[in-house]
Amino acid sequence: MNKSLKMILVLTIITIISGSVLSYWDSFTKPIINEYKTNKLDKLILEILPEHNSIEELQLGEHNLYIAKQNEKKVGIAFKVEGGGYQDIIAMIVGVTPDFSKITALKILSQKETPGLGTKIVEDPSNENPFWFTEQFKNVQLEPEIVYVKNEKPSKDNEIQAITGATISSKAVVNILNTNIEKVKKMYNEKQ
Amino acid sequence: MEEKSKTTNVKPKKKDPRAKLKKPNRIPMLLKSSPHLRSDYSIEKIMRGVLLALLPTTVLGVIFFGWYALLMIFVGIVSCVLTELIFNLVSGKKFKLTDGTSVLTGLLLVLTLPPSFPIPGVILGSVVAIFVGKMIFGGLGYNIFNPALLGRAFLQASYPVKMTTWTLPKYVGADAITGATPLGLFKFEHIMTNIKPLILGNIGGTIGETSALVILIGGIFILIKKYADWRIPLSYIGTVFILGGLFWLINPAQYPNPFFHIFAGGLMLGAFFMATDMVTSPITTKGSWIFGIGAGIVLITIRLLGGLPEGVMYSIIFMNGLVPLINRYTRPKVFGEVKK
Amino acid sequence: MPHKKHTLLQEFLKGIWKENPILISLLGLCPALAVTVSAENGLAMGLAATFVVVSSSIIVSILRKIIPPQVRIASFIVIIATFVTIADRFLAAYYPDISSNLGPFIPLIIVNCMILGRQEAFASKNNILRSFLDAVGVGIGFTLVLVVLGGVREILGSGTIFGIEIMWSSFHPWAVMILPPGAFLALGLMIGASNWLNELGEKK
Repeated sequence: MNKSLKMILVLTIITIISGSVLSYWDSFTKPIINEYKTNKLDKLILEILPEHNSIEELQLGEHNLYIAKQNEKKVGIAFKVEGGGYQDIIAMIVGVTPDFSKITALKILSQKETPGLGTKIVEDPSNENPFWFTEQFKNVQLEPEIVYVKNEKPSKDNEIQAITGATISSKAVVNILNTNIEKVKKMYNEKQ
Repeated sequence: MEEKSKTTNVKPKKKDPRAKLKKPNRIPMLLKSSPHLRSDYSIEKIMRGVLLALLPTTVLGVIFFGWYALLMIFVGIVSCVLTELIFNLVSGKKFKLTDGTSVLTGLLLVLTLPPSFPIPGVILGSVVAIFVGKMIFGGLGYNIFNPALLGRAFLQASYPVKMTTWTLPKYVGADAITGATPLGLFKFEHIMTNIKPLILGNIGGTIGETSALVILIGGIFILIKKYADWRIPLSYIGTVFILGGLFWLINPAQYPNPFFHIFAGGLMLGAFFMATDMVTSPITTKGSWIFGIGAGIVLITIRLLGGLPEGVMYSIIFMNGLVPLINRYTRPKVFGEVKK
Repeated sequence: MPHKKHTLLQEFLKGIWKENPILISLLGLCPALAVTVSAENGLAMGLAATFVVVSSSIIVSILRKIIPPQVRIASFIVIIATFVTIADRFLAAYYPDISSNLGPFIPLIIVNCMILGRQEAFASKNNILRSFLDAVGVGIGFTLVLVVLGGVREILGSGTIFGIEIMWSSFHPWAVMILPPGAFLALGLMIGASNWLNELGEKK
């Protein structure tokens, strides 16, 4: 047999077999993977959004908005935001009121901050409430934008307290929220 | 640390093996390679001098931060000496108890730690400094990085919280108040500290970096005694001053003035006692200038543009890594060598 | 390279210590450094790589007379990629937490030089039984090092092993060990220690 023909033939056959094995395997695992993914996201979205009886999805640019409705009335919106932290991307899910006036809840999905310092944005073992950082965002006003204060309790509605020793990570969370919520709000209002 | 004395490049004195072979019919002729002139510098002598130069800073640190600081220094030195001893015993090398270099490493390491650092952490840092920083490279003279700074870098990455918890000196206020360092205050809160306390030392900081003046006295002593190359501290501090000054001239509101840069933080301690370490700094004079200027550029970049308030440790470690390369490119030409 | 004939047992054992892919050949260091923040991650990564190296060695050994030498690397890569994708999808479906921990490093097994190295240096020249034994040995050697490395880093960096707290309560974990520098440090010391042990063994 011709040498180059053999080369082409063998490689093609290997690739075809590989492709068919994989497509079979994919048809087998894909449903399970998808189910897990939606479950995980659903669970988070459910935790973020206030009480509701239906969820409407809306694609705005790169953001996927989940709008919660209680008896056809909008009660809350949740979406994923991300941006640069101290070392890597910080991804969060944020819930806001339908008029984008304040935050209802915040969950950090993934981050790679300095262990023991920046990771306090997720869990702070030194505090009696380890989740105080994200929880303090509840009911924070978005007009004017969120600001952070240091070493003191927040006194205004748009203030949150930064973590001592992890100012950069705290600042990053605030910045990501400010820029992304503003952006989504603009797109959302244009759409309406 | 100072096996290769820079002034003469002495090799350890060996007995000429041929001296033993007594062959009566031959006139004994000794062939020896250069250098033929030797200085009377020895590792022990230099170490004693450097330790003496660090004494004022150490005493001041103990006065400022109390007996706990003295305990830390003691533990640091003992752990360093013991680590070296145990390594030598296990690997079956010939050794002396200590030639003083481990004592210096232990002392320098503790001087760069916050005054309330836990004792187990001091031991860990000392073990890492000597074991990872020096012994596994082959011991004194072969290490690439300054062992004390390597130990500190390990602690910085291991205990980021404890390494940035500062206790203010006794005379600032009540005992054991936590406060930020002047550089931290500048970086995160934008508060400038006056120059006078920086020089005298009643500020927050590591055990050894509080008073720029006292370090300067010790530093000038080792320069006069020629235990260190004056070019490195001069070019290092000079670069920081000039570059810091440039930033300050461009925007005085945002950047601190250059005097703040040279007196705050660990620059004085680093420039005189760590960057000048003979093993981990270049052997040529031109190389010394490059080393100091490079470290200054890295330091200003970290302090003004980076995420950390202080960058003395990383700037010196970074330049330590470049030393083999600097040595290679600044090697003086051999007489008669043709330029390629 | 001229290959001295080993007995079947030697073929199997050599990958575990004498020709350990990480400690001796220094192959496959990328996953070894990147994912070993815990013993569990190390074990999962090791098992996935073992599965891939064993399956591809068998297939490559079967096909060794059919594959023309000019396209052998391409064929090996396609075969390896197939098994890697199977392993990746399997983990994503049944062990989603491990899958998200290991992230892109499971797909990256495809370009792991340890696995391609076994195909090129061994499976493409030996019969199925020998290739199988060789691959299993190498896989076990790889997994062992990853588990030990992950275990050391987890104990020192988080104070736990397989998620169970074992250090005394006043122990402060060395955060550096679960950061990238800790991986280099621990692996370097491990390689040093294995060389030292070998030297001790030779002296006796």
